[in-house]
Amino acid sequence: MNRQLIYILILAAITVPLFLPLGLKHRVTPEVERFYQTIDVLPAGSIVLVSFDFEASTVAETRPLAYAVLRHLFSNNVSVVSLSTLAEGTGLGYNFLSEITEELGKKYGEDYIFLGFRPQYQATILGLGEGFSKVFPKDYLGNELSSLPLAERVKNYDQINLIISIADGDLPQYWVDYAQTRYKKPVLAAVTAVMATSYYPYLASGQFSGLVGGLKGAAEYEVLLGKPGLGFKGMESQSLGHLMIIILIIIGNLTFLSQKKRI
Amino acid sequence: MDLSTTVAAILTLFIFSFLYRDNPFYKFAEHLLVGVSVGYFLVISIDNVLIPKLSEPLLKRQDWPVLVPLVAGALILTRLVPGWSNWSQVSLALVIGVGAGVAIPATLQAQILTQMKASMFSLEAPPGSSAALYLFERSVILLGLTSVLAYFFFSKEHKGWLGSYSKLGTYFLMIFFGATFGYTVMSRLSLLIGRVQFLLGDWIGLLN
Repeated sequence: MNRQLIYILILAAITVPLFLPLGLKHRVTPEVERFYQTIDVLPAGSIVLVSFDFEASTVAETRPLAYAVLRHLFSNNVSVVSLSTLAEGTGLGYNFLSEITEELGKKYGEDYIFLGFRPQYQATILGLGEGFSKVFPKDYLGNELSSLPLAERVKNYDQINLIISIADGDLPQYWVDYAQTRYKKPVLAAVTAVMATSYYPYLASGQFSGLVGGLKGAAEYEVLLGKPGLGFKGMESQSLGHLMIIILIIIGNLTFLSQKKRI
Repeated sequence: MDLSTTVAAILTLFIFSFLYRDNPFYKFAEHLLVGVSVGYFLVISIDNVLIPKLSEPLLKRQDWPVLVPLVAGALILTRLVPGWSNWSQVSLALVIGVGAGVAIPATLQAQILTQMKASMFSLEAPPGSSAALYLFERSVILLGLTSVLAYFFFSKEHKGWLGSYSKLGTYFLMIFFGATFGYTVMSRLSLLIGRVQFLLGDWIGLLN
């Protein structure tokens, strides 16, 4: 089969559901439920550290994850202190935060702050345990940390109830290694699908309190929130795309077997 | 539709043109990506790191200890000068020494001891779960863990019982690779869906 034809078939399979929704239902998996419940039981006024540990190339997956998690946090009146351990995640993280806080009417400095980027994530994660203002004397917008009411409430990890890493790589592991092991803070991971299998052992050992993986995880989270969004819409295309790939694999194998017989 | 959306859409199409064959439009977009990424990293590093952590403490607060990391960083650059390149070893030794010192205990605790502890289990099922299912799950984990470890045990030739047991380990590895590959396909398809949503929705405006 001509490879260009395969591309067209896959493109068609993922495009059709965008115009003609299939009405598929999503079953919520236990790991996503655990993630959701960990946030849901936090009392209003709790402070959560959200780290945007991703780059621009995976924004199609990390955006739905970030939107769903941030919506949940702000809807429950949880305050968010955020940062990025990767340079590319800095601008994206700030944009996601701004969009959701604008939608929910949250105020910068009181309900959320964005600290910005620091290189060397081991040093950054450990440094935050010593003092947030030592690692970030100023926030991303150039404000002195001492001038922000929320930052005044946060000195180090002692005031943080939960750490969430929204990631496309191995950064959640570093949050476990350095923030959880040393400072005993619960860690949640919202990761791209390609990273999900690597993190199931951390979920089983209790080092992650919950795990949301890829577009599917985002769709499940949106089900729990009762607000279908980017993940939900994308999963219909995803399902039809997977079906097309399975059909192509079967056709490919049948063709291979028939040619082998002829030889 | 604003200009930035149109530029992003055109560059996306340039990259997709590689699906037909390699061409100058693809090359242009590829090189632009590399250039912009480096430029962005540089700007973020200057704005978020060098100014608040170096120039401001030195120039505004006369925080002299900041000179130590500044000199250590500058020594790395001596690698570019052949006669002086040995000086960079000082900074590298510092980075490796501190890095290893920080990483080894944390990694040992989080990735070996805690994971080992998680693989040990009680014969009693936790309340509210089926005892048979619990024992089956834990037995599969134990079997998978020990057989994969046997596969990577190279001090004895893989013959006899060790050969059979390590062979079982390869099946567990294949299942892991299959699951990982499935997730990878899912991940890559998600990226394509994201781009299609962007092109049809944000750019052309055909989607709600």
